Amino acid sequence: MAQGSIDPSGRRFKLPSLLDVRVLGVLAQLAFVVGFILVTVWFINNILSNLDALGESQFICIDGSSKPRCSFDFLSSDAQFELAETPIEYDPADSYWRALGAAALNTLKVIVSGIILATILGTFVGIARLSKNWLVANIAKWYVDILRNTPLVLQLIIIYFSVLLALPQIEEAIKIPGIPIFISQRGVNFINATFLPSAGVWLAFLVLGLIQAQVLWWILGRVEEQTGRSQNRFLWPIISFLAIAILGWVFSSNDTNQSILLGRQLQVEEISDFETLMLQRYDVNTLGEIDMLVANEVMTQDAVDELALSLCVLRDAPSEVNFTAQLRQRGIPYTVRRLSSQSRATSSFADGDCEVYVAPTAVLAGERDILENPNSFLLLPVQEAPVRWSIPRIEGFNFVGGGKMTTEFTAVLIGLVLNTGATIAEIVRAGIQSVSKGQSEAARALGLSEGQRLRLVVLPQALRVIIPPQTSQYLNLAKNSTLALAVAYPDFWNIANTTINQSGRSIQIMLIVLAFYLSISLIVSLMLNAYNRRIQLVER
Amino acid sequence: MDVILSNIRALVPGRKQFHLDLRRFVAEQITRSWILMVWLIAFTAFVGWYTIGQLSAAPGSTTTVLIIWALTVYMTVISELQKDHTPLTFWLKENMYNSINNVLVTLFLTLLILAGVRAFYSYAWVNASFETDPITSNEERPNEITVDDALAAYRVDFSNFPEGSSLPPRVILENAAGTPIRQVTLTKSADDPNIVIEELEDIHTGASWGSVIENLPNILLFRFRDPVIQWRIWASIGVLVVLALPSFVVYRGERYRGTTTRRLLTWAWVASPLIIFGLLYGLTAEGPLQVVDPDQIWGGFVLTVIISVFAIVVSFPIGMLLALGRRSNIQGIPWWVTYPVAIAITIWGLLTTTPANLEASRNTAETILAYWPLAVPVLAFFFQRSFKGNVVAAFSTGYIEVVRGTPFIVVLFMSIILFPIFLPSGWDISGVIRVLLASALFSAAYLAENIRGGLQALPNGQYEAADSLGLSAFNKYRLIILPQALRAVIPAIVGQFIGLYKDTSLVYLVGLFDMLALANGISSQNNWLGIRTEPYILLMVIYFLGSSLMAWYSRRLERQLGVGER
Amino acid sequence: MTATNTKSMGEDVIVCHDVHKWYGDFEALKGVSMRVRSGEVIVILGPSGSGKSTFIRTLNRLEEHQEGSISVDGIELTHDIRNIAEIRREVGMVFQQFNLFPHLTVLENITLAPIHVRKWSRERAEEVGMKWLTRVGIPEQAEKYPGQLSGGQQQRVAIARTLTMEPKILLFDEPTSALDPEMIKEVLDVMRDLASSGYTILAVTHEMGFAREVADRVIFMDAGQIVEENVPSNFFTNPKEERTQRFLQQILNH
Repeated sequence: MAQGSIDPSGRRFKLPSLLDVRVLGVLAQLAFVVGFILVTVWFINNILSNLDALGESQFICIDGSSKPRCSFDFLSSDAQFELAETPIEYDPADSYWRALGAAALNTLKVIVSGIILATILGTFVGIARLSKNWLVANIAKWYVDILRNTPLVLQLIIIYFSVLLALPQIEEAIKIPGIPIFISQRGVNFINATFLPSAGVWLAFLVLGLIQAQVLWWILGRVEEQTGRSQNRFLWPIISFLAIAILGWVFSSNDTNQSILLGRQLQVEEISDFETLMLQRYDVNTLGEIDMLVANEVMTQDAVDELALSLCVLRDAPSEVNFTAQLRQRGIPYTVRRLSSQSRATSSFADGDCEVYVAPTAVLAGERDILENPNSFLLLPVQEAPVRWSIPRIEGFNFVGGGKMTTEFTAVLIGLVLNTGATIAEIVRAGIQSVSKGQSEAARALGLSEGQRLRLVVLPQALRVIIPPQTSQYLNLAKNSTLALAVAYPDFWNIANTTINQSGRSIQIMLIVLAFYLSISLIVSLMLNAYNRRIQLVER
Repeated sequence: MDVILSNIRALVPGRKQFHLDLRRFVAEQITRSWILMVWLIAFTAFVGWYTIGQLSAAPGSTTTVLIIWALTVYMTVISELQKDHTPLTFWLKENMYNSINNVLVTLFLTLLILAGVRAFYSYAWVNASFETDPITSNEERPNEITVDDALAAYRVDFSNFPEGSSLPPRVILENAAGTPIRQVTLTKSADDPNIVIEELEDIHTGASWGSVIENLPNILLFRFRDPVIQWRIWASIGVLVVLALPSFVVYRGERYRGTTTRRLLTWAWVASPLIIFGLLYGLTAEGPLQVVDPDQIWGGFVLTVIISVFAIVVSFPIGMLLALGRRSNIQGIPWWVTYPVAIAITIWGLLTTTPANLEASRNTAETILAYWPLAVPVLAFFFQRSFKGNVVAAFSTGYIEVVRGTPFIVVLFMSIILFPIFLPSGWDISGVIRVLLASALFSAAYLAENIRGGLQALPNGQYEAADSLGLSAFNKYRLIILPQALRAVIPAIVGQFIGLYKDTSLVYLVGLFDMLALANGISSQNNWLGIRTEPYILLMVIYFLGSSLMAWYSRRLERQLGVGER
Repeated sequence: MTATNTKSMGEDVIVCHDVHKWYGDFEALKGVSMRVRSGEVIVILGPSGSGKSTFIRTLNRLEEHQEGSISVDGIELTHDIRNIAEIRREVGMVFQQFNLFPHLTVLENITLAPIHVRKWSRERAEEVGMKWLTRVGIPEQAEKYPGQLSGGQQQRVAIARTLTMEPKILLFDEPTSALDPEMIKEVLDVMRDLASSGYTILAVTHEMGFAREVADRVIFMDAGQIVEENVPSNFFTNPKEERTQRFLQQILNH
């Protein structure tokens, strides 16, 4: 029938004409490539001649010579500028690399916490937009409208200058009753957990507890399947987990690494002896009366501080938190001297600046032998807990201890969360509305409660609609974090900009900046694409 | 009137039989789940605590709200029980009091809004000052008293205070409650050192709207306040008005479809940005249309509009080309060209540059970079796989994605810092123009994605029908594809314009005098030291009104075009 | 008696030889060869997915064939854009989904291609366009937009749009499949009219009545190949191939 013989030689090797679409296509490609190369060459020429005008300093090497390959060498030299806050140790004598690295961590801090909080806020507001309560729905609508129709940078500036900087001074910080959180012009200081060395053991116990809880949950499930009797699959795993957690706490608390060093003349053999000491010093019957001394104007605050137990500690060491927590528990007044290094702390203690030297046992045992008369000092082990609360206190003009969010960080975070939250709210609302009414009606017909309907039927389906635009909102948040420049939060872009101004190497820094933000975009979209794919698969 | 009467009637129970299934009500509203019960108890306690707090803070208004709330709840409950709703109670039942929880939420939110409104009202009106010149325009004229009297009255030490000092001591007078009410500024008289000039000034705890009133012309027009060039602004607005008025008639309906009038008007619209640019930038070296230095003259709201309009207009053709480029499926460079070339480059690179680079390498990074030729075949592979050798698509995609991955502020700084390095040394482009170009190039990438969305939404049959009629590729896009695709993306383009309008607030960071820069500047003016919030509120209002107006128009357009229904 | 005897047939206008087409790994056309003479009316039948639509779409290059040769009106269909443009001028196509341009009025739809491709003056294009609109029976709809018309009217406009280009060959790609039953007739009437006025027509359709009545030849395709071709009388009453018999049984006995 239609099976003709093939004659390849006649057709296949015929040269195509010039007006062949394929030839035209390739010609257009070539023209484009040539044009592109010409423009690029022109730019490069300009750059080179402009760089010549700037001088060879652009390419200075560490050894002093000047080669193009040394374009990025300047990054190893001293940055010479301060960073207002860093998650890692940083000093102006550190390199630009370290400054940029610290700033990158600052950016990541904002992005990660921003994404989490904005998602929570956006989801709530999105649901509130659909609330049956007219007031709730309209407040949510106005919030979304105002935030979305005004520039983010203006919002940031208002939050920073008109709200946060208008908060009270540090001495009059706003306290939330019952919770150790202090809000002031200088930021938010809050109670924070400090992990002591023994926390490792405790965490191991926690992991063990989680594993066994999971196993127990699974076993109960099997029992349920086989016997057909319903088991309490949540209660028993949780109880056993808590039991293991408490066991771990007790166990790791026994294994103490913490000590204090103090003169024998204080006649303190164990921690409770401090109480007797203080009662004598202040000449009171109970420690509670010490607070009354100032209130009744018997003594000044300075005088009280004068008599208080003076401690020498290493700066930022958990040992301080561990010991002072116990002093506070007993109501023993104390003052703290924080020293930046072990040797300074030791010499300060030797000079008699403080009565008690607080540090890990291993440190103190070594340091005691350095002291002039080691036998006149007593090494007293201190009970250790794996985790101690560290509570912020005003000392001088600053808060000490606890966790801290600076005003700048707070402003950037609040601004980004409010703004992105508004957009996410619209996405969530559209997502929920995209789930057809029939689904809700079916859920109601099955007798699910409103909460169950939302949680089990509507949200899982809405998520498929929500996630793609949500991804681009997360990317927007990451890009918008560069507006931190407006409130002087030291994020990556801010510090890169400072580096440009200070070093004059604009092209190099701009390349690094582009690489940084493009890789963030790439990573976020890859992660969410993977998640998206999983959701789509589950759906099938 | 009837509505009110029937509502009042609803207050009086009776006539109809009550039907209250109390057990069902309790089960539905309270004991449905223990979480709900705990929540209700806690929330009731909280609302009660808050209400008591408000009652002591503002007894009058809180009591009123409480009474109205109780009354409406009562009315609604009675109507519900009698199954006899008036329009008001029905609305209340549906929207405010549809559960016990919502009854409480409504009360709490009403009190919260009331507190907010009260606070704002006292800040923005009761305690606010509208003086544009707070010190000299005071109704209390300077009062001259002797130094001794001043010392006695205000307990100030004047001994070291130089005559006619520009930094006079200020004494704050408080009322009995400790609230500052007046401020006295004391200056030594230049004529007689024994005389002190006393200026009294009311202290207000609210907003200083004077700062905004005084600076409004500056924030809107900046240097175009200058009467010599101010007419150019009015002329530009005039051009727009003259074009806009007939547009309402000509573009509506079918009457002017395809007529010369309509074509002329369209061309006038296309030309209008040029005319306005000519008016604002200037055309000649001398005369009324003298060329201005945009860095010095353009600012405030005028600059905001210039940047956003320029960016959207210029980015339009670029974005269209990028969108078409990204979608183009013209024959790519065949693999049998790409791969040999890539391998040739690799071999050439490995033979010539790699040994020398390895020799000079100082660290691991440079050692790895010395093997750069190995990356070429990998790139070639991805180029062939993703783009089938289509350079145009690859370039468009790359441009769009790189720009979209870069923050706008980085782009702005790049334009300021890098333009001079990328261009020949003689070309001196002013800062504003750099920002204009950067905004347009930035916006083009986003616009391209919008247009691409429009192109993708077009059914394939349109392409096929155009092809089967024998239209050339150019005519196919010009007559069939683009008119439809662009019409579909008008709302998206308006949305992008709103985004640009808001984003222009960033240019103050690169040193342009936009509204935000001028608002920031107010806080360092002598009269308004530290005043920031009031100008920011003004900007919020300007941006909010502008964006909402455009968003509203875009929604209307969307309805008209029926895009949403497709 | 078949239609072949009553009409005068000219020389071959479409010659296909061993046409192959792949979508990735899937071979949609497995060597299709056929000849169409001028003035012939051919109906292509076949189950869905048999490649019949793909085949007639290769004839004006809406789909590209990878192997074999196609020549239309003496012009070889290659990658050369001049050939493609010339063939598309001579070959008109009517689609299942009409594919009218929704942003243009009916008359603009019709005159667009003559003005821009044939370079006619607007007056001439409108005159010819109105003539064809009258021929398909809806001259009063000229100023309306496609969205305002019924499906049958839209398809008739699409036919008029194709005819105004004055093509030699007409391709119909399931022109009635997207129509409500009561509108199918008005479109088929137009097609019958065209068939009797000497056009070369290739139609993919499921309208057996049309095939039986109008076609000079019926081609049955399955799995990318031509299984059988015959005059309609023989095709419907006495099919040679077993596959064809099964197909006809399914179609006619439901």
